[in-house]
Amino acid sequence: MTIVEFFQTLLTASFFAAILRAATPMVFAALGGLISELAGVINVALEGMMLIAAFFGVVGSTWAASVWPEASPLFFALVGAAAGLGAAMLLALVLAVFYLEFDANLIIAGVGINILAAGLTVFLLFSISGDKGSSAGLTSFALPTLPLRLLQDIPVIGGLFAGANGNGHHVLVYAALLAIGLVWVFLHKTRLGLRLRAVGENPDACRTVGVPVKRIQYVAILLSGFLAGLGGIYLSMGYLTLFQANMTAGRGFLALAAIFLGARSVFGTAGAAAFFGLASVFAAQLGLLDVPTAVVFSVAPLVTILALLAFAWRRQRRTRAQVAAELITLNARRKDTPDAQA
Amino acid sequence: MSSIAGGQGSVLQEVIKTLVVIVIGLLIGMVIVLFISEEPTKVFDAILTGPLPSASTLDDGTVRWRGMTRFGTFLEDSITLALVGLAVAIPFRAQQFSLGADGQMFLGALASAVVSIYLPLPGIVLIPLAFLAAVIAGFAWGWLPGVMKARAGANEIVTTLMLNVIAIQFFIYCVTFLMLDRQAGFIVTPFFQDAAILNPLIHRTNVTWMIAVAPLVCLLAYLFLSRTNMGYELRVVGQNPAFGRRMGMPVDRTVALSMALGGAAAGMAGFHIANAILKRLPSDFPAGLGFEGIVVALLARNDPRLILPAALFYGYLRAGAQVMERTTDVSREMVLVVQAIIILLIVSENLLPRLGQWIGLGRSAR
Repeated sequence: MTIVEFFQTLLTASFFAAILRAATPMVFAALGGLISELAGVINVALEGMMLIAAFFGVVGSTWAASVWPEASPLFFALVGAAAGLGAAMLLALVLAVFYLEFDANLIIAGVGINILAAGLTVFLLFSISGDKGSSAGLTSFALPTLPLRLLQDIPVIGGLFAGANGNGHHVLVYAALLAIGLVWVFLHKTRLGLRLRAVGENPDACRTVGVPVKRIQYVAILLSGFLAGLGGIYLSMGYLTLFQANMTAGRGFLALAAIFLGARSVFGTAGAAAFFGLASVFAAQLGLLDVPTAVVFSVAPLVTILALLAFAWRRQRRTRAQVAAELITLNARRKDTPDAQA
Repeated sequence: MSSIAGGQGSVLQEVIKTLVVIVIGLLIGMVIVLFISEEPTKVFDAILTGPLPSASTLDDGTVRWRGMTRFGTFLEDSITLALVGLAVAIPFRAQQFSLGADGQMFLGALASAVVSIYLPLPGIVLIPLAFLAAVIAGFAWGWLPGVMKARAGANEIVTTLMLNVIAIQFFIYCVTFLMLDRQAGFIVTPFFQDAAILNPLIHRTNVTWMIAVAPLVCLLAYLFLSRTNMGYELRVVGQNPAFGRRMGMPVDRTVALSMALGGAAAGMAGFHIANAILKRLPSDFPAGLGFEGIVVALLARNDPRLILPAALFYGYLRAGAQVMERTTDVSREMVLVVQAIIILLIVSENLLPRLGQWIGLGRSAR
C-alpha cells in the first residue's frame, strides 16, 4: 500500500463509517461520565459498566430466543438491550449506594466495580457456555442498522449516511449523535441539569438552599450507568455480535480521559471521544503502512496528558491573574476607606 | 471525600474490621459457589488447601513433598502482590490515587530485561544493576504523574491511566521490534543471560531471594514513613495538606515523591516477574496486576507492616483459585468477585452504622 492509496482510503465513506463505529461506544460512555463528573462524582467505573452491559446484552438476547422462539430477532435484541442497560444501571446503583450511603471512597469503589464486572462476566460466561474467552458458542442477536434512504440519496454527502455497506449506520450510531444534543439540552436547558451542575460546583451552597444534593447525585450516577450501558451494548450487539472477555479493552478509561480532554464541556467531550475513535481507526490503517500500531495507540493518551497540562497551566495563570486583580482592588479599597483597616 | 490515608482509629479496631470484611467476602463467595457448582465441597477444599504441598512418607522412611510447584507459585505471587501493594499504599498514604502501578511495573521489567540481556557482566554486578534499572524506571514513571499533579494540578487518575497505556504500548513495541527472539515462534525477547537469572531457593519453584527482599522493602517503607522527616511530611500531606503547607512543608515535592516511591516498588515487582519468574519477556506480559495491588493496600490499611500478611492472604486465595479452576467446575475469576466485594466493603467507612440505621428504621416503621 502506498501513501497515496492510504490517503485515498481516508476519504471514502467506509472510512467515515469506521470512525463512527469506533467512536460510538466512547461517545456514549464519555457523555455518561461527564454527567456524573459535573455532579461532582467522578466515575472511574465506566469501563465496568460498559463491560457488564455488553455481557448481559448478549446473554439477554440469547435467553429471549430460548424462551420465546417464535418471536423476531429484533425482539430478542431489544430484550438483550434492556437486560444490558438494566445490568449497567444496577452496577451504577451499587456504586451510588456505596458512595452516597456507606461513605465509600469514590475512586476505589469505582475500581472495585470494574474488578467486579471483569470477574463476574468471565465467571458467568464460563458457567453458562463453558468458554472463558468469548460467547461464540451462544447465538446472540444484534440491534439493526437503520437505512435513511432519503438522506442517502442526497448527492455528494449522501455517502456519509451509507454506512459500511450501503445499509445505513447502526441504530446506536445515530443514537450516539442524538445523545450529544440531548445531553447538552439536559445539562443546559432543564431545571434538573442546572441543579446537577450546581451540585457539582458547590454542594454545600446547594444544601443550604434546599437542593436535594444526594438525590441529584443518585440521578447523575444512574444516568452515567445508562449511557455507559448504551456504549457497552453497542460493542456486543453492533460493533460485534458476541461478547468477548474484557471486550471494552480500556475504552471506559479513554472515555474518562475524554471528559478532561474535552474540558468538561458536552461538545468538547464528544469531540475528544470522536478523536479517540479516529486514532484507533488510524492505528488499524497505519498497520498496513508498516507503522507500528503501538506508536499510534500511544498518540491519544499522549495528547490527553499534554492537553491536561495545557489546561492546568492556563487555569493557574488565570487564578494568579485573578488573585493579583483582587489584591489590587483590595488595596485600593483600603486606601479609600480608612476605617476598613480598623 | 472520605480519607484513605489511614491512621484513624486504633490499629486493633482496624484489623478486626478488616477480618470481618474478609469473612463476609469469603462467605458471599461460598454462597455463589453453592448456587453455581455441582461439587461445592471439592471447590472449598481446593481453595482452602490447594496451595499447600502435601508430604508423604515413602517405604524407606524418606519424606517426599508433592505440589511444591504450586506452593512455589503461591509464594512467588505473594512477593509480586506485596510489592505492587506497597506501590499503591505509599501514594495512598499521601492521599494520591495513583493507578499507575501497572505501567511502572511494565517499564521496570523492560529496563531490567535490557540490562539482563545485553550487558555482558558477571552476575554479582549484573543482578544489582538490573534491579537498580527496574527501580529507576518505576521511580521515573511514578514521578512523572506526581510532578504533573503537584505542579499543574493534573488529575492523577487520568494521567496514570494514560501513562499505563503509553508504557504498555512502548513495552509491546520494544519486545516486538527491538528485542524480538526470531527463533522463538512467538513474540518474546531472548532468554536473559544465565548470570542475570535469580537462582531458586526451593527446588522446582521460582522462589528466589526476592522472598527476603519483599519483607525488607516493606520494613524500609515502614521506617521511612515513621522515622524520617520526609515520611512524616508524606503522612501529614495525606491527612491535611493545608496544614502541611502552613507549616512550611514542601507539599508539591512530597506529593511527587510519594508517587515516585510507589513507582519504585512497582518497578521491583517488574524485576521480580522478569528475572525470577519468566526469565524472558513475552509481549503479553500480564497486565492488570497493578490493580491487584489496590486490594492488598486496602487490606493492609496502607500500613507497610501489614502489607506482607495481606499479600500472603490474597496470594493464597489466588493460588487456591487456580487449583480450583483446574480441579472443579468453577473458574478462577470467582476470586475477582470476592476481591471486588472485599474492596467495596473495606472502603465503606459508614457501612455498619448505616445498615444499623436502616434496620432500626425498619423496626420503628413497624
